[in-house]
Amino acid sequence: MTRVFGDPVEVEVVDGRPAGFAWRGRRYAVRRVLEHWVTTRDWWREREPDADDPGEREYWRVEAAATGEPGVYELRYDTAADAWTLSRLWD
Amino acid sequence: MHLHVASAYSARYGAAAPRALAARAAELGMRTLALTDRDGLYGAVRHVQACQAAGIAPVLGADLALADPAPHEHAPPGGAQGGSGRRDPGRRVVVLAEGKTGWASLCRLVTAAHAAGERGKPWIDPGMVAERPAGLVVLLGPASDVGRAVAARDRVRATALLEAWRATGAEIVIEIVNHHGQGDGPRAARMLALAREVGVPAVLGNGVRYLEAADHPVAQVLDVARKLVPLHRRHLDDQTGHAYLKSADEMRRSAELAVGPDEAEALLRATQSLSDRCVLDPARDLGMDRAHLPDTGPEPHGQLLARCLQGLRRRGVENRPEYEARLSHELDIIGRKGFASYFLTVADAAALVRDLGIRCAIRGSGAGSLVNYLLGIGDLDPLGHDLVMERFLADSRTGLPDIDLDVESARRLEAYEALFQRFGTDATACVSMMETYRARSAIRDVGGAMGLPPQEIDAIAKAFPHIRARQIRAALTDLPELRRSNLNNAQLGVIFKIAERLDGLPRHIAMHPCGVLLSNPTLRDRTPVEQSAAGFPMSQFDKEDVEAMGLLKLDVIGVRMQSTLAHAVAEIERTTGEQVDLEAVPRDDEPTFEMIRTARTLGCFQIESPGQRELVAKLLPRDLSDLVVDISLFRPGPVGSDMVNPYLDSRHERRRAVYPHPDLEPVLRESQGVVVWHEQVLRVLDVMTGCGLSDAEGMRRRMSSEEGLRKVGTWFRERASARGYDDATVERVWRTLAAFGAFGFCKAHAASFALPTYQSAWLKRHHTAAFFAGVLTHDPGMYPKRVILDDARHFGVPILPLDVNRSSALWQVEDGGIRVALAEVRGISDVEVERIVERRPYASLGDFWRRAHASRPTVERLVLAGGFDALYRDTPVGRRDLLCRVGALDRASSVRPSAGLVTGQLPLGDDLATPEPGMLEDVPLGELPPMAPSEIVEAELDILGMDVSRHVISFYGDLLRALGAVPARELPDREKGEEVLVAGVKVATQTPAVRSGQRVIFATLDDATGPVDLTFFESVQDRCAATVFGSWLLLARGKVHKPGFRAASLTATECWDLAVLDEAWREGGISAVRRLMAGSGPSRGRPIGRRMTYSSGFAVSPYADVGHAGPAVRRPPPARLWHASQGSSGPTSP
Repeated sequence: MTRVFGDPVEVEVVDGRPAGFAWRGRRYAVRRVLEHWVTTRDWWREREPDADDPGEREYWRVEAAATGEPGVYELRYDTAADAWTLSRLWD
Repeated sequence: MHLHVASAYSARYGAAAPRALAARAAELGMRTLALTDRDGLYGAVRHVQACQAAGIAPVLGADLALADPAPHEHAPPGGAQGGSGRRDPGRRVVVLAEGKTGWASLCRLVTAAHAAGERGKPWIDPGMVAERPAGLVVLLGPASDVGRAVAARDRVRATALLEAWRATGAEIVIEIVNHHGQGDGPRAARMLALAREVGVPAVLGNGVRYLEAADHPVAQVLDVARKLVPLHRRHLDDQTGHAYLKSADEMRRSAELAVGPDEAEALLRATQSLSDRCVLDPARDLGMDRAHLPDTGPEPHGQLLARCLQGLRRRGVENRPEYEARLSHELDIIGRKGFASYFLTVADAAALVRDLGIRCAIRGSGAGSLVNYLLGIGDLDPLGHDLVMERFLADSRTGLPDIDLDVESARRLEAYEALFQRFGTDATACVSMMETYRARSAIRDVGGAMGLPPQEIDAIAKAFPHIRARQIRAALTDLPELRRSNLNNAQLGVIFKIAERLDGLPRHIAMHPCGVLLSNPTLRDRTPVEQSAAGFPMSQFDKEDVEAMGLLKLDVIGVRMQSTLAHAVAEIERTTGEQVDLEAVPRDDEPTFEMIRTARTLGCFQIESPGQRELVAKLLPRDLSDLVVDISLFRPGPVGSDMVNPYLDSRHERRRAVYPHPDLEPVLRESQGVVVWHEQVLRVLDVMTGCGLSDAEGMRRRMSSEEGLRKVGTWFRERASARGYDDATVERVWRTLAAFGAFGFCKAHAASFALPTYQSAWLKRHHTAAFFAGVLTHDPGMYPKRVILDDARHFGVPILPLDVNRSSALWQVEDGGIRVALAEVRGISDVEVERIVERRPYASLGDFWRRAHASRPTVERLVLAGGFDALYRDTPVGRRDLLCRVGALDRASSVRPSAGLVTGQLPLGDDLATPEPGMLEDVPLGELPPMAPSEIVEAELDILGMDVSRHVISFYGDLLRALGAVPARELPDREKGEEVLVAGVKVATQTPAVRSGQRVIFATLDDATGPVDLTFFESVQDRCAATVFGSWLLLARGKVHKPGFRAASLTATECWDLAVLDEAWREGGISAVRRLMAGSGPSRGRPIGRRMTYSSGFAVSPYADVGHAGPAVRRPPPARLWHASQGSSGPTSP
């Protein structure tokens, strides 16, 4: 089933793509990038939008595992905030 | 290397100017760049020029929508059946042109696309490409029908669609795009797999819409503005911000993510080689190196010569050596240029217009050519006015010369139709123009995108003057009328910021008001054509584009004054039988000039503005040449470099004319030693350097840039010194020329304007009523009609009220007076007017109701504006009674048919026999109180837009007397510098360029005794600007200024809304008014905006010459104008 999270995560980036991340005290190794896409931010919905350079959100859907069975995780990177979030997971 | 690029010329889609795109491509090391605007080739010529400037090679194409494959599925229930006339704006292909053949095919395909769809919604299908596939390359990308089928994983359909495209005969190429959206990569991979499988070449594209990633908010706002929806992710075409002009490396990386490194490299190479192959040569392929004139038969030069010789005889200047020498000089230049067909064509066109009985005058530099005079293109003898040909046509000039014809505005389209008929629809088209975003339109679109309520958007947009979008935030701090508003908050801040980024982007295409292309049947191979709103074929190129493409553009300008003159002449003939030939009227009529000298010139061409009335009062013109000088002096340049006062001083012998050198006296004598005209610059350069007029014209044109000015300066000093002029003289002359530089005026232009100026003044002086009928009908000037009406009263012309039995469609002369026209009634339709006139006379309101068949609101307005007063004169029936009866008539006529249906009978045709259906109801007549004079004027202002029965200001007479306000008529009797109060209806506001570079507000009030001109300097605008722009009735305090001999104006220090003061007066008497007036507050005199200063020392305010903030002043505001309260207020004379 799909679960939706908004937890901040620490992500290790190698060659411009996530290689592993730490979440809830465990380290996950990325085995495979399943999909990668970007969207612009909904700058017009923000209270004080920065319409000069709103930046983008980068999504990485990866297959990763801490130990045992791998799951599918969706990591989101916000370029303006320079921050990673675990946005969804399927297990 | 980019093959799929939309510039800002894809209206409300692209966000980058062609020049910026080409410059960036060059910066990124690309050798070529394509421009493929949506739905047309609007930016093509600019792109070619931009590429030339950037040193890269241009590729051209168009991004065209496809026909909707299943229109019946989408058609509204009950809508039209069938597959034609609909498009799917989301499904598109790019069509590129290869070589000259491809360009012609592309132009014709775009034209066909527009002919296929409804206006503004062009589409194509493979069948249309198949009609003329030569040289076309079709790119099928993710938005194409093939791409959509691939995305839907419908391989069978994708293959079939691809085959349909391959069957067209055009070259078919798959376009691979990865915008990094969700699923983009896998879709691109499947698309490539399809191409490889069926053996179709594939290239990389990026569907570019803007220059860099940070521009994507602009594209997103354009997406929703185009669709008229608020910003929401589901409405956005651009979801990722990746539709920017990426470098080759970025393109490779995007491709690698989708299809792997090897295929990415192969795609990149294929892209490069296709774009190299599609490079177009401006001369060879686009024909930009030569003119494409209409075919005028064999030996055009011989024909031209013969017609000019005829012209010499016809104009009675045969055997005059100076004319013969000038003619052979001009014909030499025309011969060297190969322009004989051009002149024959224009002569043909002018004759065609005149043969229709349409007034037609030449304007601009073309009036300087004897050939134009002899061919009958213009009616001004250039030798008589000392005009030179070179300003118009010289060896040193490139491109086709410009001939502008002024025709009657009301008959302009008639002239167009004649031209289209004569030259053939294939060889003719109108010129287009791009309407671009300015402050108000940008605020409207961005405000709508951000979801602001429409009324709020309207109020915000109208608070701004008509400035450029990029000035919005500067204006908020610069302009006192905006500083005092509450527009400075964070929410609006974002809107303003984005609105500024829309500055200058094309918004929609429109028909240029005057340009007509006359060419030969290859025209449709050279320009795409779509239909204008008025139904004319219209080129997608604008006036600069068509010039670059070597197409002959004739400017046929609709001029309201020409219609005015025609109407006046027709009225003279209708009422007196006298046939006035304005062209033959002696041009030295003393009474006419006497009237001009007293500045009673409202309604006259060019000399009615406050500034011009002041100038004619100072200059005191005695003949037509003086009018030429007057018109030329009233320009920013002469005002800015202070040429006006030295000229006036010499003219009135307060100072001797000073000539920089005796050799220049013949050149400058007419303008008292002052350089006024371009023609004089040419002559001065020629006299002092011996360069000849042709080279002099070349030099003059170079002087418009700072760098050119420097170079010409060096050249001038060398050549003049070499010819023995001393250094001091050379310096002095050069300084004058340099200061004059960019601002001068073309004397030929001034001379061609002076003619209608004189003609209008002559009519005003000798056929006053007919003149006012013309001015009121065609509204040629800057003032609202009510001002003209008041001027007519001052000239002793009675204003005859609206009368359904006497008023005609237009203003007419009647017994020496003028009768209000039916067309002035708000909301009346042409059909109604026609029927009313056709079926009169009417015996009563009921008779009118039955036979004129006007709508109820129209009849009510006719009643309220007094249209039936004459029928009920000497009866107790008033307008209120009649209004009541209109309601009864309406009820009676709408009830009877249905009553007939109830009884199962057809309504009988005996309605006409019923004497007064209104009488069926019990409407007693003569019992309602008559309308008060104030109510009558209020109704007139509402319905006719002007106060016909009496002047609005008359209702404020008591207050103004109590305040001691001075009537306009008495202002000249006051002492210079005396402080006075004046009041009136605001009839004009202007912020023209003035010497100091201040934003000065000039406002004109009208108080029934004449106009009062007010000047508000920056020092008082803090407290005055908002009131001046926001009020219709004003009271102002200021000091009397006496610029001329009889003229007087006011340098204003304070002003108030008269309606507000009037309210205070009614409530609290004069003391309340005085309290209110005392509270107008201080004004910190800070400068408004940063001036731009030219090298001549001439400074210009960034807010000069822009339309003012707030609503237009031509019609009164819809609100009630004054309180007609508590039984008050009949008119009181002021």
